[in-house]
Amino acid sequence: MEKAYMNKTAKIIKSALLALLALASVSCGDLDVVGAGSVESFDKVLKHIPQALTPDEENGGWSLTAPDASSRFIWSRNYAQSPRYDVMIEFEAAPFIAAGLDPRKLPGNFAFYEGKLMAGTKLGQETLRYSGEVTPLASYEQIVQLKRDAVGYHGALDHYGVNLGGGNLFEWAKDMSTNDKDMVFVLDPEPLLKAGVDPARIEGWLFTKVTVDDENGKPIQVDKILKPFNLL
Amino acid sequence: MRSQTLSIGGMTCAVCAGRIEKTVRKIEGVSSAAVNLASEKLFVEYADTLSLSSIKEAVIKIGYEVLEKPKGLSLSIPIGGMTCTACSARVERVLRKLEGIESATVNLATEKAAIVYNPAAIRLPAIKAAIEKAGYTALEASRDSAVDEDKLRKEKAIRILKTKFIVALALGLPLLYIAMVPMITWFNLPFPKALAPMNFPFLYALAELALVIPIIAVGYRFYTAGFKNLLHRSPNMDSLIAVGTSAAFIYSLFNVWQIYRGNFRAVEALYFETAGIIIALILLGKTLEAISKGRTSDAIKKLMGLAPKTALIIETGPLGETIEKEIPIDEVLPGDIVIVKPGAKIPVDGIITEGQTAIDESMLTGESMPVDKKSGDPVYGATINANGLIRFKATKVGSDTALAQIIRLVEDAQGSKAPIAQLADIVSGYFVPIVCAIALAAGIAWFTAASTGLVNLPPGKSVLEFSLTIFISVLVIACPCALGLATPTAIMVGTGKGAENGILIKGGEALETTHKITTIVFDKTGTLTEGKPKVTDVIVLGGGSLPLAPAPLRGSSATPSTGATAPVTPPPLTPEDLLLQIAASAEKGSEHPLGQAIVQGARDRGLEIFSAGSFTAIPGRGIEARINGLDVLAGNRKLMDERNIPLPELEAESDRLAGEGKTPMYLALDGKAAGIVAVADVLKKSSTQAIESLHKMGISVAMITGDNAKTAAAIAKQAGIDHILAEVLPQDKSAEVKKLQAEGRTVAMVGDGINDAPALAQADIGIAIGSGTDVAMESADIVLMRSDLMDVPTAINLSKRTIRTIKQNLFWAFGYNTLGIPIAAGVLYLFGGPLLNPIFAAAAMSMSSVSVLTNALRLKRFQAVRDNTNRTGTPHSGK
Repeated sequence: MEKAYMNKTAKIIKSALLALLALASVSCGDLDVVGAGSVESFDKVLKHIPQALTPDEENGGWSLTAPDASSRFIWSRNYAQSPRYDVMIEFEAAPFIAAGLDPRKLPGNFAFYEGKLMAGTKLGQETLRYSGEVTPLASYEQIVQLKRDAVGYHGALDHYGVNLGGGNLFEWAKDMSTNDKDMVFVLDPEPLLKAGVDPARIEGWLFTKVTVDDENGKPIQVDKILKPFNLL
Repeated sequence: MRSQTLSIGGMTCAVCAGRIEKTVRKIEGVSSAAVNLASEKLFVEYADTLSLSSIKEAVIKIGYEVLEKPKGLSLSIPIGGMTCTACSARVERVLRKLEGIESATVNLATEKAAIVYNPAAIRLPAIKAAIEKAGYTALEASRDSAVDEDKLRKEKAIRILKTKFIVALALGLPLLYIAMVPMITWFNLPFPKALAPMNFPFLYALAELALVIPIIAVGYRFYTAGFKNLLHRSPNMDSLIAVGTSAAFIYSLFNVWQIYRGNFRAVEALYFETAGIIIALILLGKTLEAISKGRTSDAIKKLMGLAPKTALIIETGPLGETIEKEIPIDEVLPGDIVIVKPGAKIPVDGIITEGQTAIDESMLTGESMPVDKKSGDPVYGATINANGLIRFKATKVGSDTALAQIIRLVEDAQGSKAPIAQLADIVSGYFVPIVCAIALAAGIAWFTAASTGLVNLPPGKSVLEFSLTIFISVLVIACPCALGLATPTAIMVGTGKGAENGILIKGGEALETTHKITTIVFDKTGTLTEGKPKVTDVIVLGGGSLPLAPAPLRGSSATPSTGATAPVTPPPLTPEDLLLQIAASAEKGSEHPLGQAIVQGARDRGLEIFSAGSFTAIPGRGIEARINGLDVLAGNRKLMDERNIPLPELEAESDRLAGEGKTPMYLALDGKAAGIVAVADVLKKSSTQAIESLHKMGISVAMITGDNAKTAAAIAKQAGIDHILAEVLPQDKSAEVKKLQAEGRTVAMVGDGINDAPALAQADIGIAIGSGTDVAMESADIVLMRSDLMDVPTAINLSKRTIRTIKQNLFWAFGYNTLGIPIAAGVLYLFGGPLLNPIFAAAAMSMSSVSVLTNALRLKRFQAVRDNTNRTGTPHSGK
């Protein structure tokens, strides 16, 4: 009785796990739904504002400029050739200086150059190989495939984002039709505070509390300086 | 009308028990059906015209198992010398051909033959001989008794549950970790990045799904039984678990699909851990329940373990010689001559044919003093032969032995229901459907309230999740399994504890009524007193010679009862001796203790006792006999009055004797008063203490006797009895009990169970004093196995403790549900309090059953208060 009973249970477990395995196999390529979704939605953003998308030879990548041209997101074509950062945001320094910034006090993940501030990170040193044409989307796909940890989903705002290091992010809406913040430049206020910035006084930027996921995926509330844009 | 006990499998709660009862009662010809959830047994009484198989079919049809016991004895014999399937087939064929073999299967791989056989038709040596004759070696056999089988079945069930729980726990803990750690913000616990819920939501969901599927699989019985019962419109505990966890699982599965579709926030609405942990906790509860249930029947197991496994019998060898052979106890047949060596256990009941010994019968009667036994005396299975070697003829074997009868009595009692259980049964019957309705209503109400903004949602929860959580919590917390276990577990432990103390309580109803007793009526003779009165006074009317000299009694022509030749010159007898001789000769045929005391008194004085020409017992009055032409009337005053025999001078003597607590018996010869023979019966040492204990318990104590008022008063005074019912004829005893009942008292009658039978039956509780072999066991509600009256307050105390335990159990069981349901339904949340997590609901529900069982098991600590110095010196050796 006991053996039969346990055999029956074992059979049920086996069948159920096989079914699960089959489900996983069917969806094998799409197990990383966030990665795949981010590519899809980034493509939509790029296609929605094609005029804002330009090659950035100076930084060895691509540039997506905000509608007011005050900020842009830059991502590398080839990590081996990016001069400073592989992913970064570049924005006007003037509002920050007006708010008390002393650029000399900024940490290493920030750069100040010709009236612009850059916040970014190096993802790697390797030479990227493309199977097809080298396009802005293909370069982004390289990030998803090779540096998956740099890409995330921000549930509180229903955004995908690229982690620029040091708490700085570039985010875009998963679904522009339902979101009023389709493109967001996100800065961690901490180093800026240390560099003399009064975050409440930065013109054109919003200093607020945002719910984000920590490195373990736990939702936490943190202070951020944001510059959101509604593209639709 | 027949009755049968069936072992039932697959029951999980009181609803299952109720459903089986309802189904069986509906069968035409069934007069009663009671299911004990704790012992998992169905007790059914049905008409002779109805077949048991139709009852079994009805039980099976509604989804439960009827666990069959093999009719014959089962045996496993290892066989040597088999080399191929042809060998095993040959052995099988040989065995099956033997008369008395019910089934035989030979397994070549294990080299064993599994046999079921009828021991009355064939014995093990014959089976072995047949195997040997076929050319194989029969090795030492091992036996599976019905008891072991039941034990093994229960142990297997516990093992299965344990394994399932371990599987559920092993997967449930990581599942809980994965589900909970991302939510714990105040403490940083390590968590795999690859499963970060917002970054890799689909993988995270699949990981949870992979962990929960085996848990659901090990708990598949909850779903098969639960949904089946739901479809039969008889939802039970399994239905609640099945619906609750299925809701959590299906909703989570839907959210996995949502994640796959790109709705990553659905990762926050996964409730796989709820389903998994609920199943794990319920399995934990069920495992603990099964272990505790096993412990409730410890008393029966102890009783069953008393019997030895083998018996030494005498057989005639091939050359006509006598040989001793050790055989399994199941193979002993009535008529077998059994040898029992000093220190060994008596295997079955029988009559000693040779030898004398002292036998320790304490395991049956509770008496610690060994009882002397000689040829012609009965012996009982499981008792211990203290010193001499005896041979006895087996008279009762198997289920007919005294031990088997006691076990059956205790089993029946454990399986019976107390009236208080009916409340739990009624509530359980309506409980689950009502709970389903409450869960649904609460879910809908909260959904509506949250949708319309009447209440604030807990952080991170959608309206659907919020209402679903409440729906699941109510279903899970409300399981009435504790309610179903509350009464039977306490009764099982209570009656078992009684049996351990030599108190056989014959059912739940008796156990319950006993605690309500307000008045106890004790029979005097043999109950309060030793029942072995002695002659104390012989008074001859006028103090001189008898009015009529019974010359024939002086010797020659009379036939002495001993059959010995009458003395040539009889010794001169005093008038007192002569009167005693007449009285003893007249009382010789009497079974009344007083008559026997007079006969013994005469013997003690060396008087010859003669046979009576005629003898008539006059119940409640005395006897009438004719001895060689002399009419002898011996009895009480009522008898003398009815026969118009004046009692000059004797009345004063009678009053004096009665005042001293003695029983005066008038003697009239040929219609004229001749004198008085007085006998006195002494109180048992335990009587006074028992009555004192009963008084302390607030119980009024009465004594009922056929003795005159003065004698009765003297005994009552010694014993400390409040109320005397004297000069009551045996047939009027029940009327006296009835009178007390009419005054609104709950009356217990304590008697020896034979002549007090009508009163025992009339009383709310009949308590018979006697050994376990006494037929009187049939008429009483409680049988005290020893003659110690302290067992009366012990029985009442045990009843009080048991009923208190049942009430506590019912309180807790109802409490869990009545408190748990509103909390689960979100009443606290309504007033700003917390919302009950379904996992905590499952934990609370499981613990409710465990706490009820633990509370019942506390009864095992019950101890009878006894004073060893109060033991009667003469053990009751059975009748």
